[in-house]
Amino acid sequence: MGFLLDLRIAFRSLFQHSRRTFFLASAIAGVTALLILLNALSTGVSETMIRAATTLSTGHVNVGGFFKVTSSAGGPIVTDYQKVIDAVKKSVPEMESMVHRGRGWAKIISDLGSTQAGITGLDIKNEPGFRKVIELKSGRLEDLAEPNTMMVFESQVERLKVKVGDAVTLSAQTTRGAANTIDCRIVAIAKDMGLMSKFGVFVPVETTRALYQLRSDTTGAIHIYLKPKFIPDVTAIAARLRGQLEKLGWAVMDADPNPFWMKFQTVAREDWTGQKLDVTTWEDEVSFITWTLTVLKGLTAVLLTILIAIVVTGIMNTMWIAIRERTREIGTLRAIGMQRGGVLRMFLYESLLLGLIGTGTGALAGAGLGAAINAARIHVPLSVQLFLMSDRVQLALHGGGLVRAALFITLVTTLAALYPAYRAARLKPVSAMSHFG
Amino acid sequence: MPTSRLFVAFALVLSLLAPSVAAALSKAELVEILKVVDERQRNQGDWRSLVYMEQKEKDKVDVAYEALVFRRSQDQRFIILFTKPKASQGQGYLRIDKNLWFYDPSVGKWERKTERERIGGTNSRRSDFDESRLAEEYGPEDLGQEKLGAYTAQVMKLTGKPNIDLAFPVIKLWVDKETKNVLKRQEFALSGRLLRTSYYPRWKKTYSESKKTDVYYPEEMRFYDEVEKANSTFILVKSVDMHPLEQNLFTKAWLESKSR
Repeated sequence: MGFLLDLRIAFRSLFQHSRRTFFLASAIAGVTALLILLNALSTGVSETMIRAATTLSTGHVNVGGFFKVTSSAGGPIVTDYQKVIDAVKKSVPEMESMVHRGRGWAKIISDLGSTQAGITGLDIKNEPGFRKVIELKSGRLEDLAEPNTMMVFESQVERLKVKVGDAVTLSAQTTRGAANTIDCRIVAIAKDMGLMSKFGVFVPVETTRALYQLRSDTTGAIHIYLKPKFIPDVTAIAARLRGQLEKLGWAVMDADPNPFWMKFQTVAREDWTGQKLDVTTWEDEVSFITWTLTVLKGLTAVLLTILIAIVVTGIMNTMWIAIRERTREIGTLRAIGMQRGGVLRMFLYESLLLGLIGTGTGALAGAGLGAAINAARIHVPLSVQLFLMSDRVQLALHGGGLVRAALFITLVTTLAALYPAYRAARLKPVSAMSHFG
Repeated sequence: MPTSRLFVAFALVLSLLAPSVAAALSKAELVEILKVVDERQRNQGDWRSLVYMEQKEKDKVDVAYEALVFRRSQDQRFIILFTKPKASQGQGYLRIDKNLWFYDPSVGKWERKTERERIGGTNSRRSDFDESRLAEEYGPEDLGQEKLGAYTAQVMKLTGKPNIDLAFPVIKLWVDKETKNVLKRQEFALSGRLLRTSYYPRWKKTYSESKKTDVYYPEEMRFYDEVEKANSTFILVKSVDMHPLEQNLFTKAWLESKSR
């Protein structure tokens, strides 16, 4: 009963000072909406990055490696890969699926242009996840099953000026240093998937073997996809797999959180020959771009801290004014029997109500604005794509995130009122009643 | 209309249709034409010729090359050795075991190339300097007959057979109906994009001891780039000699030795 009374008093007080309530609630709503949008942006970037990375260039955990013919010449190859697959199956019970892909780097030459790109060899028949994520602009993904075919992305089409059916020549060096070329026919053109799609093309795995003159029992890397609940544990799973492969007799490279193509020089400097396996996580393979996510999260945190500080100051200031204006009212309430706790609660409830109204409105506005931005499919220039990991602004709006943001801001606004409310509760009834001002 | 008039009209229509019906050739007949085209150019032995190439490119100075071409029909071996200009001297292409290799003496390395390779950066391909193997490499489709200047040409569309390394997957070919010399070619990508138009304005013949008959070859070839419209390549084939070549000529060692 007391609770309802306190709440009613708080509500009436807010209603009575409608202009002040409106401005404060608007400020809280603005900060809440901003928090939601910034969170949605960094979550969106993160999700796009994982989705793009785990489709285009990496599994959640990978077993790659290098095979060195001499101490200075080698390539990103896993020999006798079927045995490695068998070992992985036994060692990673968290695994949902697994694929193996060829790896390479080559010059692509068309009749009208050329570009350098990472070459990924895949067996399209065993890549159901790939089909789900890749959105085709023209051509057929099924044709990638034929030898010497290629799938490129829209942005590469701009550089190569090719269409489906055109031929391109791939030029690369084999592991023994011989220059080799191979012709491929463009069979599919996919829509861009952010920055990562600008550096990679897909060919059948046999084509990578032909280009690098490799045997049929070799591959580039084994990509392991984990069940969703185990994805946060990738580092631990990779470390365990590294240990188990070593126990089974493979030479394994030390953990190095970098993508495979950054390890060529290090590997070439080392004095060993033969096969060494390298276990990496998806974060390692895209570490060259994850700094953007860190920067984005850092900027979000700084911006929000400043905004919250402003809102907290505003609320405290408003409460001080309210207490000053209502000192006689507090004195009267205390004189007719309201306890100190009641006064404290009255002001806290007022702040809580203000927070709920503000954050509720802000959450709705943020979600609406975010949905509108997603629906507008705003295309961003290349320089911005570097940060967003997508060619479009893509916000990840999740219900849980909205509620968390609203509750966090409400908590902050309520706590901001704690000290002024405490001071109000400490007022003596007699002096409060005789207060003029 | 009386029956007699109907009959006359029908006969008239039939007579008008008759030439076009006769002109439509079956696939087998087209293959026979291609075999004749190929056979006329095949020398069934060794071949040596001097080749001049002139490359014209938009906003660039024209470049002229001189090269020696060596061929051996028996195992389809092939060499192009550049002799001029100085910057290209010693560079060469060697085809052995159906693999095309490029050698650059300035880096001393061999690169394996495909048949799409532009020879010396011109718009010519290796197959332009080799014997014709159209019947073996392509499947024909009749496109009727056309007048090409003073010549009546049999036109056909050739589509490359699978698993053969070809410079162009689709060719539209104009063959002189009378002599079976190739007059013109249009070369396409599989997407249908026109890549190059080639003209063969001058054909010559030379007696071959190995074949015991005349061998025909295009003395002049003109290639017009249809992608970079302003670019063109002009080829002149001279000093054809079909006497046997030395046995160890078609080797990497021989080509490397020419730049030392």
